[in-house]
Order: sequence, then structure tokens, then C-alpha cells
Amino acid sequence: MTTYALLGAVEHGLMFSLMALGVFLTFRALDFPDLSVDGSFPMGAAVCAVCITKGINPYAAVVAGGFAGAGLGFVTAFLNTKLKILNLLAGILTMIASYSVILRIMGMPNLPLLGYDTIFTPIENLGFSPQIAAIIFSACAAVLAGLFLIWFFHTDMGLALRATGDNMKMVRAQGISTDRMIFIGVSFSNGLVGLCGAIAAQSLGFSDVNMGIGTVVAGLASVIVGEAVLSSRSVLRAVIGVILGSMIYRMAIAYALSFQIGDFRFSPGDLNMITAVIVVAALTFPGMRRKVGVGK
Amino acid sequence: MIELVNVRKVFNPKTVNENVAIKGLNLKIEKGEFVAVIGSNGAGKSTMLNLIAGILSPDGGQVLANGRDITALADYKRASFIGSVFQDPLSGTAKSLTIEENLAIALKRGHGRWFRKGVNRKNRQFFTEKLATLGLGLENRLKSNAGLLSGGQRQCLTLLMAVMANPEILLLDEHTAALDPKTAELVMSLTRKLVEEMNLTCLMVTHNMKQAIEFGSRIIMMHGGEVVVDVSGAERQGLKVADLMHMFEQVRGEGIEDDKLLLS
Repeated sequence: MTTYALLGAVEHGLMFSLMALGVFLTFRALDFPDLSVDGSFPMGAAVCAVCITKGINPYAAVVAGGFAGAGLGFVTAFLNTKLKILNLLAGILTMIASYSVILRIMGMPNLPLLGYDTIFTPIENLGFSPQIAAIIFSACAAVLAGLFLIWFFHTDMGLALRATGDNMKMVRAQGISTDRMIFIGVSFSNGLVGLCGAIAAQSLGFSDVNMGIGTVVAGLASVIVGEAVLSSRSVLRAVIGVILGSMIYRMAIAYALSFQIGDFRFSPGDLNMITAVIVVAALTFPGMRRKVGVGK
Repeated sequence: MIELVNVRKVFNPKTVNENVAIKGLNLKIEKGEFVAVIGSNGAGKSTMLNLIAGILSPDGGQVLANGRDITALADYKRASFIGSVFQDPLSGTAKSLTIEENLAIALKRGHGRWFRKGVNRKNRQFFTEKLATLGLGLENRLKSNAGLLSGGQRQCLTLLMAVMANPEILLLDEHTAALDPKTAELVMSLTRKLVEEMNLTCLMVTHNMKQAIEFGSRIIMMHGGEVVVDVSGAERQGLKVADLMHMFEQVRGEGIEDDKLLLS
């Protein structure tokens, strides 16, 4: 693996840890398998890209992308809690619908951002290369998001949210509206994914309607790898684990892509397969499973 | 206090499995009463409790609390004045949260939950004091996950959590049925202590007639979704298990087949 590939893996690992934290929030903390993140990622990217092309400040554009993602989460939560649609299906419906909305927002399937100032520009102006600038920014974002989540999970609302994912009967008996917690949790999670999409769009230099495919599986892979590395006994360990897991997962992918036997080598098109295999292996291999603590 | 007016509950209505669990139930529970509810399986005991807690909503009739109609009030909203303990010791606590976090959730019942720190020094001190009264040594394990506790310990914790926010009514749904006799005794003595200390109105479903006689200031027997025996006051004095058995046999018009009732 070249240094360039390694740096790229670190950059992506840090950048996508925001998305992995969002997936962790729904899948693990809230126990809500939310597939709408495959839609909120390109949604965040699209809104951010459109804002930038309209001349809005790139940082404000990232925040707008985050809110757009949170909006999708809100829709999923609404379908699930108010219309009583199964959580998995609610997420899929939102994801499918978001495709059309994203096309409407962008007006075209792919929106390039070349030539515009991005969130990385001020850091680059300090004399860093674009890649190092992206790593610095993503590291700050990952640390901030991690600290925020750790703080949030210890507030009254965060405790109620974690308990909702654990024992709904107890939560209702303790006077907490489980519907409210699902609204808050799923919106917050998709907001993080939207933020991540917005940052990714600026880093990649474009927004594409198809850029969200596989987001949820990649996020889940990061969460599971993180749990394998650091057992998720406490919130602190779990959150750090997710960020580490995201980086390890991206490095594993980078390694796989640089892997070569004779004439055979993986192509980027094989990524989804590699990811699926990583997740399946982590979930089913019994020893791994016990270590991961998935099969409670 | 709590009043059920002509309450009806039908499961699977208009199907072959239609089951009238509660038919036209009228019941008034006064403040400070300890009502023990007995009856065989399927008599409607738990259904009645769930109707009061709001976990089930009735198909007819009204549920009143202090004269206020709460029939349409969601269960989590009723939780501000109703505390519940269920039969399954695992269902009252969140296993992945620590003991102090579980207690913090209970302490906030009936209040807004926003961005204040859930466990702070002040309420940790309070939790330590409360846990020390259980005599289980849990006050030294505040930061252990609740999932590490035994069923009996979790049920004691649940009981503490149920009364933490000073409810008016405590609903106990066979809360000792899944515990071994010794632990059950511990949980019952804790129940008595808390109910007396906090002057709670209590409704306890039990399969155990001895428990009903020992604890209930009023004993209700249910059968086929109706209250068939209701003894309190002078009548209640000197009532023995044998008397209850006799009543029960009369009501059913047959011998008792339920082992649980005989074994108690």
C-alpha cells in the first residue's frame, strides 16, 4: 500500500466516522435499523453542493446539508411512529423517495464543485496540501462529533434514548414517550450522516445522486469492527470504537484494493462485495461474534 | 382515587379468537388501600392492571383518576402518577445502562428530559442512600450495568425506580412470581416498607392467596373478566386462606385445578 493510499484511508476513515457515528446511534443505541442513511448521505451532499454553487458560505452549506439529512430522518421516524410502518421499510421508503428529491434539488445527477471555495480552502491557505487539509478538518469534525455524542448520551435525553433502544416497556413505564425518542434519535443520526455527505461532497469536488449506495453497510461495518477492537462496555469506549472502526475499515478496504495475486487484483467495483464479506464474517464467525458481543 | 366505570376489553374482536377479557367492570379504589387481586389464569387480572396503567385501552367505559377521565391518556403520561412493576424482573430496568443511570431515568419521571447531565453528584448521593436501604450492597455498584444484577436484585431496583418519583399509585403485576421464595420474600418486605413509608395506594395482582391475605387491606377475586368477590374492612378481618379457597371453589363451581393456588 502506498503512502498516498494510506493517507487516503486515514482521510476517509476520519471523514466517514461521522456517518458511522450516525449509524451507531440508530442501530446500536436506539436499536432502530435505519436504512434511510443511504438517502441522507447524498441528500446532505446535494444540498451542500447547491448552496455552494449559489455562493453560500461553504461552512453554512455543510450545516444546511446536515439539516437536510435530519429532515429525511424525521420523515422516517414519522412513517414508523405515526403511520406504524415497520422501521426497516420506513427507512427504505424514505431512501427511495429521497432519490427523486435529490435529483430535483440538484437539477441534474451530478453537480461538480470545481473552482469553488470549500471548507478546506482556509486550511489549504495555511500551506497544507489538499489531502492533509482534509485530514485535519475531518479529524476535528470526528473528535467534535464524538465528544458531542458522549456528552449527549449522558444527558437526561440521551439516557432516555439509550434506554429506548434497550427496553421500551421500562421506558414507557418511566414516563418517556418512545415515539419522541425515535424522532430525536433518527433525526439526529441522519443529521450526522447529512453532515458527512456534505463534507464528502466538498472533499470529492462533486455531489452525485448515487453516492449514497452502500452507506449503511459501510457504517455498520465500521461499527462492528469498532466493537471488535474495543468492546462497547461503556459509551466512551463505544464512541471511540466507532471512530477507530471507521479508520480500520477504510484501511482494510485500501489494503484489499492494493492486493494483487498474479494478474488478479480487486477493482473499486468490488468494494461492496468486500464490505459485505467483512460484515458477514464479523457477524457470523462465532468466536468473533462473542468477542464482538453482538449475539447478546 | 382510581375508578373503573363499566370498562370492557375484548381481544381479537369479530374473529373466531374473540376473547372478552373484561366485561363491564366497575371498581373504585380509595386512597391508601392495598388491593390484592386474585383469580385463576385468564380471569382478567393483568388486563385490568394494564388498563389502569394505560398499556391497553378499553373498548368501552372510562378510567378515572381522582375524578379526572384518563381513558385516552397515553401510558407514558400516566406514569407521572402511576408506578408499575411487572412480573418479568428483566422488564423493569435497562440492562445496558448503569444502576445510577437507571435510577436517574426514574428520578426524572414526570419532568422534562433535556440536556441536563443525567447523573450528577447530588443525585448520586441520593441514589446511594436509597440503594443502601435495600441492604443488597448495590450502593457500591452504582456504575455497574443493570444487566449484571440477578433477577431479584433487578426487581428490587425496579421497585425502587417505580416509587422514586413519588407516584400516587403503585401497580404490581405478579412481581414476585418469577423469583425464588427467599428473594420473593425480600421483594415483598421491601414492597411493604415502601408502601407504608410513602403512603401509597397499591394494586397487587398475585397468584398467591397467602400473600393476598398477608398484604391486602382489601381482597378482590376476579373470574371471567368480572370482580366476583370483594372483601374489605370488618369482613376482611380474620379471613384465612381456607376461606378464600372456599369462595374460589364456589365461584368456579368446581374444584381448584390450578397448582399455583394450592401450593401457596
